[in-house]
This record gives sequence, C-alpha cells and structure tokens, in this order.
Amino acid sequence: MTLVALPIFIPLLCGALSLLAWRSSLVQRLIGLVGTLALLVVSVMLLLAVREEGHIVMHMGSWQAPFGITLVADLLSAIMVLLTGMMAVAVAIYSLATTSESYERFGYFPLLHLLLAGVAGSFLTGDIFNLYVWFEVMLVASFALLILGGERSQMEGAIKYVTLNLLSSAIFLSAIGLLYGLVGTLNMADIAVKLAQAEHTGMVDVIAVMFMVAFGIKAGAFPLFFWLPASYHTPPVAVSALFAGLLTKVGVYALFRVFTLIFNHTPEFTHQLLLWGAAFTMLTGVLGAAAQFEFRRILSFHIISQIGYMLMGLALFTPLALIGGVFYITHHIIVKTNLFLVSGVAHRLLGSYDLKKLGGLYKERPFLAILFLIPALSLAGLPPLSGFFAKFIIIRAGIEAEAWVVTGVALLVGLLTLYSMIKIWAEAFWKAVPEGVSTERLTGREKDPQLVWMYLPIVLLAACTLLIGLYGQPVYELAEASAAQLMNPSGYIEAVLGTSVSGGAE
Amino acid sequence: MGLFWIPLLPLLGTVVPLLSSRFGRSFLALFTAIPPLLALLLLLQLAPSVFNGEVIYQSFDWIPLAGLSLTFRLDGLALLFALLILGIGLLVILYARYYLSAKDNMGLFYAYLILFMTAMLGIVLSGNLIQLWLFWELTSISSFLLISFWSHKSEARKGARMALTITGAGGLALLAGLLLVGKIVGSFDLSVVLASGDLLRQHAAYPVVLVLVLLGAFTKSAQFPFHFWLPHAMAAPTPVSAYLHSATMVKAGIFLMARFYPVLAGTELWFLIVSMTGLITLLLGAYVALFKHDLKGLLAYSTISHLGLITLLLGMNTQLSTVAAVFHIINHAIFKASLFMAAGIIDHESGTRDMRRLNGLWKYMPHTATLAMVAAASMAGVPLLNGFLSKEMFFAETLDQVTLGSLSWMVPVLATLGAVFSVAYSARFIHDVFFNGEPVDLPKTPHEPPRYMKVPVEILVALCLLLGIFPGVIVGPLLALASTSVLGGELPYYSLSIWHGFNLPLLMSFLAMLGGLIIYHNRRHLFRFQSQFPEPDAKLIFEWLVQRLVRLCSAIIDKLENGSLQRYVFLLLLAALVLMAGPMIDLNATLGHQSSMPVDTVSLIGALLLAAGAIATVILNRRRLVSLLTLSVVGLIVSLAFARFSAPDLALTQLSVEVVTMILLLLALFFLPQSTPKESNPRRLVRDLSLAGLIGGVIGTINYAMITRPLDSISGFFLENSKTGGGGTNVVNVILVDFRGMDTFGEVAVLGIAALGIFKLIVHMRLYMPSTDGNGLPWSPDRHPMMLAIVSQSLLPLALLVSVYIFLRGHNQPGGGFIAGLITSVAIIQQYIAHGVDWIKERLRINYQWMVASGLLIAGLTGIGSWFFGRPFLTSWFDYFSLPWVGKFELASAMVFDLGVYLTVVGATLLILANLGKLTTSHSPAAKENN
Repeated sequence: MTLVALPIFIPLLCGALSLLAWRSSLVQRLIGLVGTLALLVVSVMLLLAVREEGHIVMHMGSWQAPFGITLVADLLSAIMVLLTGMMAVAVAIYSLATTSESYERFGYFPLLHLLLAGVAGSFLTGDIFNLYVWFEVMLVASFALLILGGERSQMEGAIKYVTLNLLSSAIFLSAIGLLYGLVGTLNMADIAVKLAQAEHTGMVDVIAVMFMVAFGIKAGAFPLFFWLPASYHTPPVAVSALFAGLLTKVGVYALFRVFTLIFNHTPEFTHQLLLWGAAFTMLTGVLGAAAQFEFRRILSFHIISQIGYMLMGLALFTPLALIGGVFYITHHIIVKTNLFLVSGVAHRLLGSYDLKKLGGLYKERPFLAILFLIPALSLAGLPPLSGFFAKFIIIRAGIEAEAWVVTGVALLVGLLTLYSMIKIWAEAFWKAVPEGVSTERLTGREKDPQLVWMYLPIVLLAACTLLIGLYGQPVYELAEASAAQLMNPSGYIEAVLGTSVSGGAE
Repeated sequence: MGLFWIPLLPLLGTVVPLLSSRFGRSFLALFTAIPPLLALLLLLQLAPSVFNGEVIYQSFDWIPLAGLSLTFRLDGLALLFALLILGIGLLVILYARYYLSAKDNMGLFYAYLILFMTAMLGIVLSGNLIQLWLFWELTSISSFLLISFWSHKSEARKGARMALTITGAGGLALLAGLLLVGKIVGSFDLSVVLASGDLLRQHAAYPVVLVLVLLGAFTKSAQFPFHFWLPHAMAAPTPVSAYLHSATMVKAGIFLMARFYPVLAGTELWFLIVSMTGLITLLLGAYVALFKHDLKGLLAYSTISHLGLITLLLGMNTQLSTVAAVFHIINHAIFKASLFMAAGIIDHESGTRDMRRLNGLWKYMPHTATLAMVAAASMAGVPLLNGFLSKEMFFAETLDQVTLGSLSWMVPVLATLGAVFSVAYSARFIHDVFFNGEPVDLPKTPHEPPRYMKVPVEILVALCLLLGIFPGVIVGPLLALASTSVLGGELPYYSLSIWHGFNLPLLMSFLAMLGGLIIYHNRRHLFRFQSQFPEPDAKLIFEWLVQRLVRLCSAIIDKLENGSLQRYVFLLLLAALVLMAGPMIDLNATLGHQSSMPVDTVSLIGALLLAAGAIATVILNRRRLVSLLTLSVVGLIVSLAFARFSAPDLALTQLSVEVVTMILLLLALFFLPQSTPKESNPRRLVRDLSLAGLIGGVIGTINYAMITRPLDSISGFFLENSKTGGGGTNVVNVILVDFRGMDTFGEVAVLGIAALGIFKLIVHMRLYMPSTDGNGLPWSPDRHPMMLAIVSQSLLPLALLVSVYIFLRGHNQPGGGFIAGLITSVAIIQQYIAHGVDWIKERLRINYQWMVASGLLIAGLTGIGSWFFGRPFLTSWFDYFSLPWVGKFELASAMVFDLGVYLTVVGATLLILANLGKLTTSHSPAAKENN
C-alpha cells in the first residue's frame, strides 16, 4: 500500500534534502542519482504489485474515499510512473555531464526532483483537485527550470509557457469548481458514480469540454499547443528531454483518465471531438516540423504530432485503440527523450542545434549515428522498432473502427515524420561539417571524459526501443490489461470506494 | 534444420563483416559469404520437398495477443526468389570485394548488404502479412543506407532520400492495404489469406485493397509514375545496383503482385490497372533508356522497362502470361545483374560511365566486352539466349488477350515497339562502349579487371546461355514450381523449346530486331529530336516539390504560430469558446429550481464594488500604480465575501496574501515605468473585448446554471468529523492539514519552488534605482525614516507573538500555519523596509532556501511518520494533555505538519521579497552574497 505513495515522496524528500545541501554540488549529484534510482526501483515494484492486484489504493490520512484524498495506481498509472522513473534516471545521469555550475547553484537538482514529484503525483492521485495541485507543482517547477539559465530566449519562451499554462490552470480550476457544483465530490471514482446517476443535461458536456481544453493545453493538442514549440528548445537539453518525454504526457494521461473514467457517457460527442482534435494535432505538428531547421524545434513539433496518435487511441475508444494509445505513450516517452538527448550530444560536439551549422557526425561518430537512427526511425514507425508496433496498433484500430479519415492522416503523418527524421539525418549526420564551424571537439582525439555520461542513457533508451521492437509481447500484454481496466472502470471505482458500483452511491 | 535459419543466418551474419575487418579484405569477404552460403545450402536441402509439392511452414509466437506471429513459409515462388536472392547475393559479395576501394569501409558495406539480404529473404519467406510488411520496410531502410553509402556525394544523399520517401510512402499504403485484408479475411496468416480469394474479390472494399497493395508494389518496383527514384538510386556503388536494382529489391513489388495473384487478380480492375501501368512503364523505360549517356542510367531505365514488361504480363490475367512473367523474372535478374556488374567493371577500370567518352573498349578489355555483349544480347532478346525465350512468350500472350475489345490489337503493337527500343538501347550499349572509334579523354587507361572480379559475371553469362539453349532442363522444373504457386493450382500447357516454328511472335521478334538496329543506326536524328525537349530532372522536380511542401508548411505554421503571445492567447481562448459553445447551445434550461438567497444591501454593495474594481483595473491598466490600487479593492472584497459567507480562515488567508502580493508588486513597480504605452489598436480592442465578453458570458451562464441547482456534497462529512476525527473545531484548518493535507503539502511545495525560481530570476539582476518617481519628483533623501524604524522595531515582537498565537489556535479557531507564516513574513519585511537590507543582514542570519527545505522536510516526514505506525501517509494523531498552570491542551501531529507549512511559507516569501528588496540597495549585491 505504501508503494503507491513512495513515487511521490521519494522525489519530494530528495528535493528538500537536495535543497538543504544547497552548496554542495557533490551531495546534490549524489542525491540526484540515488533518488532517481530509488524512484525507478519503487516504480518497478509498484508496476509488479499492480499487475498482481489490479489496483493499489491508499487513503491519505486514513480518510475513506470520497472524503480524503486517495492515491490510486491502476496499470496505466503504474506504467506512467515506471516511465517517469526511467526518464528520471536517464536524465539524472545525463545531467552529470551537462549541468553547469551556475545551474547547480540555483537549484537544478532540487527542481528536478520536485518536478518528478509533480509528475508522479499527477499519475497517482485519484482526486481531481489533488490532480490540479500536482499540475501546479509541475508547472511551477518546470517554469523554474526553464528560466534557470536566465538567457533572453529562455525568458521569452518561459513567459509564453507560463502564461498559456496558467490559462489552462484557470480553466481546469473552473471546471473542477463546476463539476463539484454538479456532483458535490472530488474523488474521481465517486464523481464517476455520481455522474452516472445524474441527469444528463448539456451541462456535463460543457464541463467535459472544459476539461478537454485544460488538459489539451497541457498535452499540446491542436489548437492549444503554442506554448510548446515556443519554449521547449530553450532550456538545457537535459531539461528539454525530460519535458519532452514526460510533461505533455501528463496531459495525455489526464485525458485518458478523465475520458475513460468520468466522461464516458456521450462518446459520440466528446470522443468525436477528440478524434478531430487528434487528426488536426497530428497534421499541424508534422507540418510544423517540416518547416523547422533547428534540431530541437523539429523534435518539439513532432511531440505535438505524436500526441495526436495517442489522442486518436483514446478518441476511437475501442479496446484495441486504447491498447494502441497506451503502447504509443510508452514508446513515445522513451524515444522522444532519447532524441533530445542525442541532440544534446550533437550540440556538445559542434556547438549548435541549428541544422545548418551541424554536419559530419556520420563520418566522425558512426556510433552516435546509429544511436540517432534507432529512435528516429522508431519515431517514424519503422520496424523492427518500438514505434512500429505503436503505429501499427493505432492504425489497425482506426481501420477496424472504419475511421478512414483519421487513419489516412495517421499514415500520411508517418511518412512526413520519416521525412523530418531523414532531414535531420541528412543535415546533421551526412553533410560535411559546414565551413566556419569549429570541429575541435568533433575530431579532437582527446577524450571528453564526461561524454560517457551522455552516451550511457542514450544507449540504454535505444536498447529499450529495440527490445520493444523485437519483442513487444510484454509491453503489449501490459497495454492490453491496462486498456481493459480503462474500458471497464468499475474495477477502479470498486477499488477506490470499496463497494460494488451499484451500492457505491449514498 | 529449420526454415527460419534461412533468414536468421544472414541476420546473424550482419555482424560478421563488422567483426572481421581486421583480417584483410579478402578474408572479410570470405567470412561475410559464409552465412549466406550456409543459408543457400540449407535452402537447397529443403528444395526437394518443395518440388514434391509440399509447402514448408514454420511458425513462432511473437505477439500472439495482437495476432502477430513469426511465420515462415516456403513454397515454389518463395523458393525461386530465395534462390535468386542468395545466389546473386553471393556473387555480389565476391564482386564487391574487388569493386570497393581501400578507402571505403568495407565491413560496414557488407553489413548493410547482408542486412538487406535478410530483409529480402524475410519478405519472400513470410507467412504472415504483417511480418511481410516489416521486412518490406527493412528493405527500404537498408537500401537507403546502401544507396547513400558514399554519403559525401550529394547525389547519393538525394537519391537515397528520394528512394526512401517514395518506397516509404508506398509502404504505408501497403500497410493500410494489408490491414484491410486482415480485417476482411480475419487473419494475417498468408495461407488463410491465399484461400480467401473469392471473399476478397467480392468484398465492397476490394478496389481500395487493390489500389493500396498495388501502390506498395508499384513504388517498390519503379512503375510509372513512381519510376523516377530508380535512376537516381544509381548513385549507389555498382554492386548495390547489381543486387538491389536489378535482381532483388525492385522485384519485391513484382513478388508482391505474384504473391497476391491468387486472391487479387482475375478481375477487370486488376487487368486495367496492372497491365496498363506495366505497358506505359515498359514503353517509357525503353524509350528513355536509349537517350541516357550514363551507362548505369541506361541500365536503370532498361530495368524500369523490363519491370513494366513483367507487370504487364501479370496484369494480363491469363495463366500463360503468368508463367511468362515468372520466367522473365528469372531471366531479367540474371542478365541485368551481369550487365550492371560489367558496367561496374568498365566504370572501375576506365574512370567514367559516360558513353560519349567510352568508345572502343573492345581493344582494352576483350574478355569483359564479350561477357557484356552476350548479356546485352540477352537483354535485347537475341535467340539462343534466355531473354529471347521469355520475350517470345510475352509476344505470344499479347496477341491472345482481348480485354480491351476492339482496341486489343494495340497491345502487341505497342509491345513490339517497346522491344524495338529495347534492341536499340542494347545495341547502343554494345556498339557505343566497345566499338565506335577510340575512347575520348578517359581518366584512366582501361584494362581488364582483376581475375576474380569477372567470375560473377562469367557465371551469370553462362547461365544466360545455358538457359537460352537448354531451357527445359535447366529452369523447367523451377519455373513450373514457381508458376504453380503463383497461379495457386493447375499449370497450363506451355513449351520451353527454342523453336516454335514460323509464327507471329517470331515475326514480332524479327521486326523488333530490325527496327531496333535501324533506330540505332539513325540515332543521331533521334537524339537531335529529343534534345528539343527540356530534360526533366526528377531530382530537381522532387526537391522542388519538397521545397514547395516545406514552404506551404511554413506558411500554415506562420499563420498559427508567429511568436506573438497575444495571438496564442487569442487562439487558445477562441478554441475554448468554440468548443464550449456547442454543448452550451444544447443546454436550454439555464435556471435550476433552487430557491435563491435573499439579496441584502451589504452583499449588493460588495458585488457592485467588486465589479467596479475589476472594470477599473482593466480600464486603468496603463497607469500601473492606480490599477494596482483598484486591483487591491477586488482582493479586499473577495476576502470580505469569504468573511460574509462564514469562511473566516479564507478571509484571513486572502487578506494576508493580498498584503504580501501588494508589497511584491510595489517593489516590482518601483523599477518599472509607471505607465504602459498604448499597444493595442481599436480593431484589436474590439476583437479582444468581444472575446473576453463572450468567455465571461459563457462562464457566467454555467455558473448561474450551477448555483441555481441543488447541491448534495461531501462537505457534511467534514463538519461532522472535524472534531471527532481530526481533533479540531476549525473545519477549514482540519481540511487543510488533515482531510486534504496532501493538497496543502503540494501547494506548499509549489510556493517553495516558485520562490526558488523567482530568487534565481532576481538575484543576478542589476537594476539602477530610478532617480525620480513617475512624476519626475526626486525621492526623499531620508531612506529609512526614524519614526518608521522605531515603530516597526517595537512592533516586531508583537507581530511575531500574533503569528505564534494564530499558528497555535489554528486547529480550533481561524488561523493556522499558512496565515501565521504570512504574518511573520510581513513583520520581517517591514523591518527590511524600515532599516534597509544591510541592517537586517547583520542581525538576521537565516538561509531562506534552507528554511524552505526544512519546512518541506518537516511536513513530509510528519506525513511519513504515520507509516511507522502502519497507517497511510498523513494519518493524524491527537490527544489531550493537561499541565499545571496551563490546563488542558491538545497536541496533534497535524500541528507539526502545520509547522512545516509555516516554515516553508516564511522561507519562500522572504526569499522572494528580501531579494527583491535587495535590488534597492545603493550598491548592488554581488552574486556570491546571494544568501
């Protein structure tokens, strides 16, 4: 039972401890490694336990749901937490090489931990207002991380980031208020029960749409994504990588949670709306990427287009589609984080993220080239990599559901994604190093001892991508079980409220 | 040994060349060849049972839940292709050993090549549609790597990109097609699918399936209008062209059509699409090939033309034409691979592939020339060579088909025309290169290549001859076997003999020979005629198209995402409004049936003031100080409203937050201009005003609808259980620290993080103190007035006492850690204001970061403490004690939690305010004094 709270409290306490060790870089780094590793271990244990028991519930302060705050881990939560742990470790290791002294002095590691706490909290809470709180933790921590460098571009990006996200918070909070006004409770399972009994006026749809907008902003869905490409390319790459992997997925997770558990009564309206959103999100993201010429900007736009695939999984709302959605999230987090990490190595070697100023990496660093190709081709959905299955399941679900338009878009976007990845490949890897770019670090035979800390997480994540691609059965199994839980929320409700669904209402 | 070893051996073999680079190039090639050789032997060992009519089948679970299995299936068609892939692959390995120079990374090249071989074997041996697609894409990737092997060449990079884009697009269409097939048939298993021909052909979605699958096949096999990538793929090293672009990869599309022939062919639609595409490709390829000066360019277009021929044969829907197609697959693979290899030798030994400079090579390399000439003659369809036989069958079939009705006569005529050009370009290949005068300005003096470089060509050319002379013996059984599996059953009667007597096909062959030689003889006129047309460069067109697409994307994205935050907010709110308006319109009964509270004067005045304050803030927003004051009116009314509706805790909190915020904003305003310039134009103003009004209207309407309905909520539980379960009579505080302590914990963390972020923002800032205020008046010289200093100093203990009191009574009366923390902060800030930063720094040595951290730790550990008692996080404990003089009092774990809250609030607030205040000191603080 304690397991479900640990993924929140380990990073929170690590954050506080790390803050106490404000002046010691060594201690901060140590806590960074140990803390994230502990998070990973705990999240693995949590997933195993959840697989065993179905749901793990903890009523905070011993107040039975729906009165206190309940932490709930179902499979989706546990998978997300595990991914959080994996990315945390990857980024913590990577940060050893890339974090400058000034960042450490201003709380890079504490903020990292607190951000992770926010992310884990969002995945594990079973209370809609508590979800808001964790969103705030995440938002403020990510904002602080964005501005930590104090550069002009970072400020500009961060201001857009925080303004638009605060709008999301405001809408989210209003929606919570209205929902409470409707059902008089905040526990999500309880809301689901009460809402099922409430009369179905358009009111529920209005509130559902408000949640959709609030989470859609977080997820970076069309047309609410503007904050993302404005800010993600500005902070240090380890931060970008973590944001890219996890933050938007929290929004996606929230959509998955809310639109399977709570607002599942009028899918012909809500999920249809999501489906259109998914199609446009895929398309705008990938078109945006085609227009970019900066490594991380391209990747940022691809986050958006990939979010579209996940939303498509949710919007189709069939068991297969949800499997695809969960699979896609899993694959995407690993791959996208890794691509950002690779971009950081390119930056370290050549001093730029601008594709026009990159080149020669294939010739000089063939190993890095392979490490790029694995996640890049996976992102484009090519076999035998994780992205293939993700895309395959989603597209199959689209065809089975006879949603031709969105399936066609999904296929087309796959092609354009491939085009984008090849563009990066051609510019950064194939092309000779452009004139005027210093190749000292690229060709210098002196070893950069820190580079190993950058390579290590990249290799590990690439191995995951490959492994899922070659043997996707375990992930598929998990995704299937998770989709089954999502399609039939009564298990979740019973686990939280401790009663059968019919008797759960007072 | 199992069938799966045939693709598995080469797959494992991909690492062999990477590991054996150090043994020298010959051993590298030798080691590389071992796994494919073993696979070939294995295949030959399995062949007899296939010839006995067996279909060898082997299946492993892969992702059974998703209906995916690894299934390998060896029938006649697969056997034929696997033999070609492995046989020619081995020859190419040998050839590449001599072709690649010492500069090239041979190990990598072989690794890519073997990877490609694996992929091809995977396609032809797949017994599962999805697995087939998987290997299909793998051929695209490995061919991308192979084409771009010389990545320093721009044309290699562009060629590779183009090939990948086109075949990748086709691949996606194919995936959709295969998924549709799976949906219709209900299985991805090839055997099941092959048995469901009628089901598929009669299904309403058949045309869609057909088009999607054919898109995959046509892009891969370079059929018109997707043919243009193939000539540009010639930038690849020649062994790659010999392997991929003659014998194997481009045949994958053909293979696909043959594979699905039993289920998709036989309809009018199939005939129309497939045969017409084939015919156009055949003619176009043959015609263009004649004009290519590049040796490999000529061969590339000739390949396109021959692929078109095979497609046309498959499209004709007759059994004999299918046999002819299979036959031509074999023949073309053999003669075209040898021609590419010969072209590679010529390029390698003379330094150019330009036929305008390559003349008279016969004198320099007679051996190679002989081989090339035999192969080219086979390509032209000269009797006694294998090309002749399948071409005869082709001619015979064109005469037999009637589907085009009265226009059917055109097919044989056009086929003959294609053959004419085919003879002409073959003649050009022979005559231009080996005769036709002396070489012009060659980079190298040409000579015969190394002995073993010619061996693969010799083997292939020997096959051309053997097949041409003894077709029945050499290829008869294999052809029959492969054709049987394409046709899916009975085999028609056909004869493989060289001589069928004087008949129409022979006449067509004769005409083609004659016409071809005439055209070649008069080529100069034709070249001149052709030179009047601009030569379209597919690469340029492709790049242009891509650029157009990118520009279009930029235009769309710039419309949406132009960097303006105002635009983003506008779009975002507009989207929210549009989305919400839909269901709002459906909501017709706004007013619920809850009776409303009576309106009293106080509430009314408050509401009016609130509205007035908000509106004034908006209107006066350009005069910052004034709008700040009106804003504080809003905050004040809100806290009064809390007090009015029995929430004194919230009122207190709101009030103290209001105070701290005002100080913060005033400090910030000190450095900022006192008024904002006008930034909006009238049109924008109207737009924004309407949007804001609409959003407000929508939210207001929902709120109204909400509050006029009865509410049945969980709040009653809190009222009942606050004292008994939480040990406090102040329900709000018990909610904060107990019922929903987790929220508080999170929010406190938010405050701490925010403080860290703001601290970072301001600590390095170097701002000059404005010399005057907004109206140009100088500041008072007395920065720390005596009166203020003394009064605030004496107020400090009192203020701290109040905050302790507020803290302690929090559990039962309005108060608590949050409010107490704010009061303490205000008290200390007051000292900063009164005495200045330096004065405080000497007296108050507190590290605020440390304070935030310890606050968080205390709160967190208190919560975790309950774990040691086996209870969930934050489970509170309380009890009542009594002491002499003090009397009965209560201790609760929640108070320790509240202490953590208190410390964090004080630390965070002061971290922000004190550092912001520091900016006002005359000497800017150095970075290292930041604590």
